[in-house]
Amino acid sequence: MTESTVKPVPPVDAPPVVVARGLTKTYDTGDNQVHALAGVDVEFHRGAFTAIMGPSGSGKSTLMHCLAGLDVPTGGTVHLGRTEITGLRDAELTLLRRDRIGFIFQSFNLLPMLTAEQNIMLPSQIARRGVDKQRFDHIVDVVGLRDRLSHLPAKLSGGQQQRVAVARALLNAPEVVYADEPTGNLDSRSGAEVLHFLRDSARDLHQTIVMVTHDPVAASYADRVVFLRDGRLVDEVTEPTAELVSARLLKLEEA
Amino acid sequence: MLRTTLAGLKLHKSRYVTTVLAILLGVMFVSGTMVFADTLNASYEESVMGSATSVDAIAVPSQPEPGSEGAPEEPIPFTGEQLDEVRALPEVSEAGGLLRSEAVLLDADGRAVGFTPPAAVGLEGVSRFSADEGSLPSNGDEIALATSTADQTGFAVGDTVTVLDAEEEKRDFTVTGLVEFGVDPSYSLGGAVVFDPDTVREMTGVTGYSEIDARAAEGRTPQEAADAVTAALGSGAEVRTGEEYGLAMAENVGGQTEMMRVALLLFAFIAMFVAGIVIYNTFAILIAQRQRELALLRCMGAKRGQVFRSVLAESVVVGLVASALGVLAGVGIGMAGATFGGPLLGTGDAVPVVVTPLAVVVGLAVGTVVTVFSALIPATRATRVAPLAALRTSATAAGLEKGTGWIRVVFGLLTFAVSAGLVAVTQMADLAQVGLVVVTAAALITFVGVVVLGPLLVRGIVRLVGVPLRKVGVPSMLAVDNSTRSPRRAATAMIALTVGATLITGYSVISASTEATMTTMLEEQFPVDYQISPQFSMEEPESEEAGEPQEASAEGSEGAGSTEGAEGAESPADGAEGSAEAGAAEGTGEAGAAEGTGEAGAAEGTGGEPADQEGGAGEAPETPVMPTVPAEVVAALESQPELGQVFGRRSATVETDDDRMAFVYTYPGAEIGADLTSDVVEGDLADMGPGRAVVAEGHLDGVGIGDTATLPSENGEDLSLEVVAVVEEMQMLSGVTVAEEDFAKAFPQVDGNEMLFVRAAEGADPAEVRDAVYTAVEDHPTMQVGSAAEMKNQFSQILDIAFYTIAAMLGLAIIIAVFGISNTMALSVLERTRESALLRALGLARGQLRRMLSVEAVLLCLIGAGIGIVLGVVFGWAAGASVLPNMIFAVPVGQIAMFIAVAVLAGLLASVLPGRRAAGTSITGALASE
Repeated sequence: MTESTVKPVPPVDAPPVVVARGLTKTYDTGDNQVHALAGVDVEFHRGAFTAIMGPSGSGKSTLMHCLAGLDVPTGGTVHLGRTEITGLRDAELTLLRRDRIGFIFQSFNLLPMLTAEQNIMLPSQIARRGVDKQRFDHIVDVVGLRDRLSHLPAKLSGGQQQRVAVARALLNAPEVVYADEPTGNLDSRSGAEVLHFLRDSARDLHQTIVMVTHDPVAASYADRVVFLRDGRLVDEVTEPTAELVSARLLKLEEA
Repeated sequence: MLRTTLAGLKLHKSRYVTTVLAILLGVMFVSGTMVFADTLNASYEESVMGSATSVDAIAVPSQPEPGSEGAPEEPIPFTGEQLDEVRALPEVSEAGGLLRSEAVLLDADGRAVGFTPPAAVGLEGVSRFSADEGSLPSNGDEIALATSTADQTGFAVGDTVTVLDAEEEKRDFTVTGLVEFGVDPSYSLGGAVVFDPDTVREMTGVTGYSEIDARAAEGRTPQEAADAVTAALGSGAEVRTGEEYGLAMAENVGGQTEMMRVALLLFAFIAMFVAGIVIYNTFAILIAQRQRELALLRCMGAKRGQVFRSVLAESVVVGLVASALGVLAGVGIGMAGATFGGPLLGTGDAVPVVVTPLAVVVGLAVGTVVTVFSALIPATRATRVAPLAALRTSATAAGLEKGTGWIRVVFGLLTFAVSAGLVAVTQMADLAQVGLVVVTAAALITFVGVVVLGPLLVRGIVRLVGVPLRKVGVPSMLAVDNSTRSPRRAATAMIALTVGATLITGYSVISASTEATMTTMLEEQFPVDYQISPQFSMEEPESEEAGEPQEASAEGSEGAGSTEGAEGAESPADGAEGSAEAGAAEGTGEAGAAEGTGEAGAAEGTGGEPADQEGGAGEAPETPVMPTVPAEVVAALESQPELGQVFGRRSATVETDDDRMAFVYTYPGAEIGADLTSDVVEGDLADMGPGRAVVAEGHLDGVGIGDTATLPSENGEDLSLEVVAVVEEMQMLSGVTVAEEDFAKAFPQVDGNEMLFVRAAEGADPAEVRDAVYTAVEDHPTMQVGSAAEMKNQFSQILDIAFYTIAAMLGLAIIIAVFGISNTMALSVLERTRESALLRALGLARGQLRRMLSVEAVLLCLIGAGIGIVLGVVFGWAAGASVLPNMIFAVPVGQIAMFIAVAVLAGLLASVLPGRRAAGTSITGALASE
C-alpha cells in the first residue's frame, strides 16, 4: 500500500515480542498420549505479521492458544516482552490478555447484544481504560465502519463483523494480536479486505500480528510464514507468495 | 425414536436437574400433605374409636324437636331410675352414668381458666373415659384434669387446684390423674375437670346423667345391648353401639382434618402451578437449543408426529422420575410432619404413618400430568422445526427474539383495563362477599395480562433500571443487555416468581390493613384501657356462645369481640361449627344451644354480629338474663385512684313490628359521642339524651334522623324515641343505643352491667393501673379482664402467626420459582458458552463473569418480585377494601423490604451454579467447540 513495500521491516532487526522455547503440549486420551506440540521454538518480532500454517491437526491452534495464554502448555516457556506467561495464574493471565493481547477469532467474535461500537470498546471497558479518541477514529475509518457503528452484529455482513473484530483488537495497541483463521468464514473479497487491514496495521502502526490459517492466499499477506507439522516447526518462508506457500504446504503433506 | 429420546436424556441429564427438583418439590408437597392428613386422621380415629369402643352401648339424651314456640329446650338428662333400668337389663352386664356440668377452675394466679369454664364431669360406674396418667378421683378432695386443661394451666398430678362451687366458694382439690378426652368438642373446647360423682353433685348441683355407657352381658353382642338400652330408655335417648359412636365422632373429626388437607392442597396446587411454569420454560429452552438436533432427525426422515412424541416421551420420563422421587420425599415430609406436628394437633405420641395408595398415585399422577402438560406447547413448537435448520451454520444463540407484536400489547392492556374496571366496581358498589370473588377474578385477569405483556415488561423495566446499572461496570452492563436478549424466556422465568410474590404481598397487605383498621377503631371508638366481663357459662342456654365471638373478631369489627376471638383462635372457627355438629351427633344438646343463641340474643353480649343473628328470630318471651358484673366490682373499681372513668353496658332484645329482633343498649356512666363513638352516617351523636336514640345502619329499617323509633318494652308500654343519629354498622355502637333512664324504664329487670369499661386516670402508670384493676376484681375470679393493649397484642399475634404460616406455605412455590430462574440461567449459560469464552479471552476475569450472571439473575428476581409486589399491594387493597368497607389501607413496608431482600438473595443463589459453570469452562475448549 505504501512505499514501504520496497523495504519491508526485516524481522530480525527488531527485538522479539513473543518468544517460545521448547513448547510442548500433551493431551491424555485415556490409553495413549497425543502430542499436540512436541517442542516448538519460535519468536515473533515487533511489527511483524506472521502466519502459522500447517495441515489439520498439526497443532497450529494449540500453539496459538499457548502463546496467547488461553491454554497452559505442558512444558517449555512463553515470554511476552519481559513477562514469562507460562506459570502465571488465571487471574494474572486474564489481566495479561486484557491489557497486552488482542484477539480475532474465526467466528463468534462479537457479542450479539452489543452494537459494533460497543463491541469495539468492550476490552477498554472491561479494563476500565480510557479510549484514545483519535486512534478510535483512525481505526474506524481505516476499517470503514463509520456508518455501521450503531448496528448490532446481526445487521452486519460477515466481512463487516470481522472488521469490527479487527478494530477491537487494534484499538488498544496491544503488544501482539492473535488472529485465528480470521478469514475462514468470509468470501474471498471480504477476506482480502480484512487481510489488507491486518497487513497495513502491522506496517503503519507497528503492530505485531500472529495469524493462524490454512489458506495459502491469506498466508501470502504475511511477512513471514512458519510451517507446523505434528507439533513441530518444520519450515519457514519470508516474503511469501500464495504459490510458494502452496508448494511448501503440498510438500509437507506429501512428506 | 424412543431410543433416541432416552439417549438424549442420558446425555443431557444435567440440564434436567433443576426441572426434576421443581417437580419433586411440588409433588413432595402434594403427597406429603396426603400422608400427613391420612396419618393424622388415622391417629384421631384411633383415639376416638379407642375410647368409644371400650364400652358397647352409649346413650345420650336426644335432642328435643325445636318447638315452634319458645326457645328449644335443653335435652332432658337421664335420671337415676333410668340408669338403674339399664343396669337391670339382662343384655347389659354393667352400666355407668356420666354427670356433666361445669365448674370454674382457677389458674395459678387465682383467675378463672378459659373463656368458658371447663366441663365438670363425674363418672359413676363404667365409662368410656379412663385415666391416662394417675387415677380417677376417689373422694371429695381429689380431682382429675383433662390433658388439654393440664397443658393449658400447667397443672400436673400432685398439684393442688382451686375450683369454685355453685356459690362461687373456693374449694381445693389434689390432682390425682389426667384424662384424655380426645377431640370430643364437649370437652376439648373449654377443657374438663373430673370429680367423683358425689362431689360433682355437691359442687354444681347437677342431678341427671348426660350420658349412659353400658357393657354387653356375656354372650350378647353390642348391638343387642344397644337395642335393649334403646327399649329401656325410650324416645328420650339416642343410643348407639360404641363402634357406631366412634365412627360418628371420627367422621366429625375427619371433617376437620379434611379442612386442613384442602388448605394444604391449595398451597400444593400453587406450588405445582409454579412448577408447571418452570417446566414449560425448561422444555421451551431445550427445544430451542436442540433445533439443529431435531432438524437433523427431520432430515433423516422423522415425521412431525415422531418429533412431537419424542419430546412428550422425554417429558413423561422426566415427570415420572421426578414424581417418584417427590412421592418418596413427600412420605418423608408427611412422616416428619405427623411426628413433630401431630402432638400439637392432639394426636397420641406414637403415630403409625399411613401411606395410602391414593397418596402415592395422586403424587405420581399430578407430577407426571403437570410435566407432560407443560411440555405440550414446546413439543408442538418442536414439530415446526424445518429440516433445513440442520444445515444452517449459525447457532440459535445469536438470534435475538423478535419484538412484541402489537396484538400482544393491545390484548395485555385490555386485560389491565378490564381488571381495573372490575376493581372499580367492587369499590363503588357494596358487593359484600361477591366482591372478594370479583377481586380474585380481576387479579387473575391482570395476571394473564402480565403473562402476555411479560416480555415487554421485562424489556421496559430493564431499560429503565439499566441506565444506572450500565454505569457501574462491564459485568452489570453486560448483564443488563443479556437479560433482554430473550425477553420471553426471562418473562416466563420471572412470572413463576411473580405468582408467589403476589400472593404473599397480597396477604401481608390484607393482614397489615386489618391490623391498622382494628387498632384505629379500638383507639378512636373504644378509648378505654380495660374491660371487665363475667365468664360465660354453659349453664344458661342464653349465654352459650362458644364460637360466635370468633366471627366478630375475625372481621375485626368490634373491640369487645377480639379478646374472646384471641382466646378462641387456637381452635379455629370451624371448631365452633364442629361443636354444633358433634353436639347433634351426640345428642347432648350442644346443638340446641348453638341454635338457641340467635334467638336468645346472647350475641349482643359478646359483641357478635347481630345482623347475622336475625335469621334465627322467633318469639322472645322475655329478655334473657345475662351474667352480669357484680355491683361490688363497680364500686371497687371506682374506689381505685389510678382508675378514672368506669362505665358499663346493659342490653336487651326486643321484637320490632316487622318481626325482627332489635338489640337495645345503654351505657350507664358514659357520654355517647365522647366516651364511645362510631362513624356517623347522618345526625350528630352530641344530641343524644333521654327520649332519644342512636341507631346503627340496617338495624331499624327505614329509620332516619328526626324519625321516631318505636320499640316494644317489657312493661307493656312502647318506647318512643327520636332518632338523633344513624351510625355505621359493625362499629362500637351497635343496634339501638338509648339513654339510661329510658332503658331502666323499659327493662327494669336488667339492672346489672354485662360489661364494664375502665379508663385509667390521667397520667397513671400502666403497671399500677393494671394492679388496680386486678385488685378490684380479686374477690371475683370469674370476672374476665381484658386490656386494650393486650387485645391489640393478641390480635397482632394471631395475624402474625397466620402470616408466617401462609408465608411458609408459599415459600415452597418461591423456592421452585428460584429453581426455575436458576435453570433458565444455567441453560442460557450453556448457550452462551462461546460468548463467555470470548469475554474471558478479551480479559474478563472469572469473578466478573460470575458477577455478570449474578446481576442478571438478581435483575430477573427483582422484576418478578417487583411486579408481584405491585400486584399484591393493589389486589390486597382491593380485596381488603371490598370486605372491610372502612378499611385503613396499610402497606407493610418492613415486610415488603424483606421480600425485596429475599428476591436479591434468591437471585444471588440462583446464579451460583450457572456462574460456576460459566467461569469454570475452559476458554480454548469453548472456542473450539462449534
